[in-house]
Amino acid sequence: METKWKYSYAFLALFAMVVWLAVYYYPKDKLKLIACDVGQGDAILAIYGKTQFLIDGGPNDKVLDCLSSHMPFWDRNIEVVILTHPDKDHFSGLIEIFKRYEVDYFIANSLEPGSQGYQVLKKVVGGSDAVVIPPKEGMVIGNSMMHLEIVFPTQTFQKENLTFNTNVNDSKVLGTSTTSKSANNFSIVTILESGDFKALLTGDIVPGITDEIIDTGRIGKVDYIKVPHHGSKNGLTEDLLKKANPEIAVISVGKNQWGHPHKEILNLLAEYNVKILRTDELGDIVVTDESEINKE
Amino acid sequence: MFTKIWKRENIFWLVIILLVLFRYFSSLPSYKTGQKLRITSKVLVEPIQYDDSQYIKLVGIRFYLPKYPEVNYGDNVIVEGIIEDGKLKNPVLINLEENTGIIYKVRKKLVLFYHRALPEPHASLVSGLVLGSKANIPTEFWDQLISTGTVHVVVASGMNVTLVAGFLLTMTILILPRQKAVILALVGIWIYALLSGFDAPIIRAAIMGSLAFSAQALGRVNLAWRALFLSALLMLLVNPSWITDLGFILSFVATASLMLFEAKIRKLVYFVPAIFREGLSTSLAAQIGVTPILLLTFGRYSFISPFVNALVLWTVAPITVIGMTAGIVSIITMPIGKLILFLTYPLTSWFIWIVNLF
Repeated sequence: METKWKYSYAFLALFAMVVWLAVYYYPKDKLKLIACDVGQGDAILAIYGKTQFLIDGGPNDKVLDCLSSHMPFWDRNIEVVILTHPDKDHFSGLIEIFKRYEVDYFIANSLEPGSQGYQVLKKVVGGSDAVVIPPKEGMVIGNSMMHLEIVFPTQTFQKENLTFNTNVNDSKVLGTSTTSKSANNFSIVTILESGDFKALLTGDIVPGITDEIIDTGRIGKVDYIKVPHHGSKNGLTEDLLKKANPEIAVISVGKNQWGHPHKEILNLLAEYNVKILRTDELGDIVVTDESEINKE
Repeated sequence: MFTKIWKRENIFWLVIILLVLFRYFSSLPSYKTGQKLRITSKVLVEPIQYDDSQYIKLVGIRFYLPKYPEVNYGDNVIVEGIIEDGKLKNPVLINLEENTGIIYKVRKKLVLFYHRALPEPHASLVSGLVLGSKANIPTEFWDQLISTGTVHVVVASGMNVTLVAGFLLTMTILILPRQKAVILALVGIWIYALLSGFDAPIIRAAIMGSLAFSAQALGRVNLAWRALFLSALLMLLVNPSWITDLGFILSFVATASLMLFEAKIRKLVYFVPAIFREGLSTSLAAQIGVTPILLLTFGRYSFISPFVNALVLWTVAPITVIGMTAGIVSIITMPIGKLILFLTYPLTSWFIWIVNLF
């Protein structure tokens, strides 16, 4: 009889602790934009209350640690996942994300990179309940508190530069088109907006398409820019920087063989008095809408 | 009469030791460096996943394969490569056949359930404790477990088998007569051993547990030492290469040290709060035998290990029992399984927090 009571008390104590922890970790209604430290790659997490947007998954499973430390333990649902373009350092981490989290919407290019990892991603996405949406310039996704506007690629750019597999007519299937250009050209560029705060998220765009992006007329003054292509000089241009005129520039970069971030880009940012934050120096970079910056 | 029985038993041990020796020398591997090899085998040691590759051990030969396609515990594979110092160079995966056996399916399903229900590293900790699954443990957490000497709880450990065996017996004895309960518990132990990856420490614990239970059922007691030696010899008879397996050696040495020293040490540490006492006395006792081996093989040893173990070991039993119950319930209804699993969260948080602290 006595042990029975002991177990009942232990059970009740555990139950109470779970409730307390769940309340303690209940998220605030406030924007949190996190550039996850995933090494050489991109994984950007935007949180407002219980809503999460994840832009890219990085080159490895480190993105899971980032999600674990910034989401409450009981929330296993990510509202929107965007894959800017199908390169390894952007999609690899998404495989485990789709295995472990419930994803509502998955926005990704139709481009087929042909790599083995991408076939695995296609399979897990296919086996999940996520709705696949091809990107369309001007599309807005989210709610009144936090939303994403898709700036690029435009319909015409995709039509001119992608060859679609004619057998598959469903735009909701991944990997239906090919191209002779590098996948970077098709990076999905978005503007994240919450209250007065605006962030320009640029994937791996290259100088050659900067004009096309500016020509959409959707780029204006922002607070935050995710520097394209890990700070490669084959990325950010002065024109785009002038147009976006950010206060903070975040570079998602790790140990790499190409010397990212390039000196030219760091100098350019310094010239325009933009504050530089690098994941290889600071770890996860957390920015909130009051622009307070925490190192974690 | 007494001497006759004693003698008969001696002959039994002599025969079994001779058999083991014969098996050992007749099965020494004969691969030479530079030899081309094609291995067709079932994967009996869980592969470890890295960023770009996976580490696989087949019939005592180690090699790395590309990360995809993913090889799982229990799958049938054909691999080709060239032998170099006991490793396979340039290995190529010729064929991969997924194991669709019910046990392997259940294991996969349970691991997936833990990963879908909890964030990391909580999910890995639970699936490590319940199923000995170490494939997906985040690198950082793995390093912390090693440096604090607590990694033994998440890799296939005999402790889990003993725990599950005890739990099964207590449960079945409530509804069945003792002898039938023991038989059911025995079946349970071996299903669990298969479920948690057939590693040496697990088999050791399963054999010892089976011997102990049968002895109890047959009314014979105090067989612990004989059970220990018998299980070691039986295992070597089946797989002589285990003699060099670190997990095998550590498992037996640790168990022997426990049997020799645990009771005495527990008396010495009477002043420690009850909740941590057993954890401290068992880990201190095990350390006596294990420390020299660890020092010899790794050249380093974590001296805080007994204290970290004392602080975390009490959580192992409740996490395992809750995790397993949640897993079984999740097969029937996922949402309720998830709710039950949340009960482990305060315990895993404590475990992770302590390991982080040191």
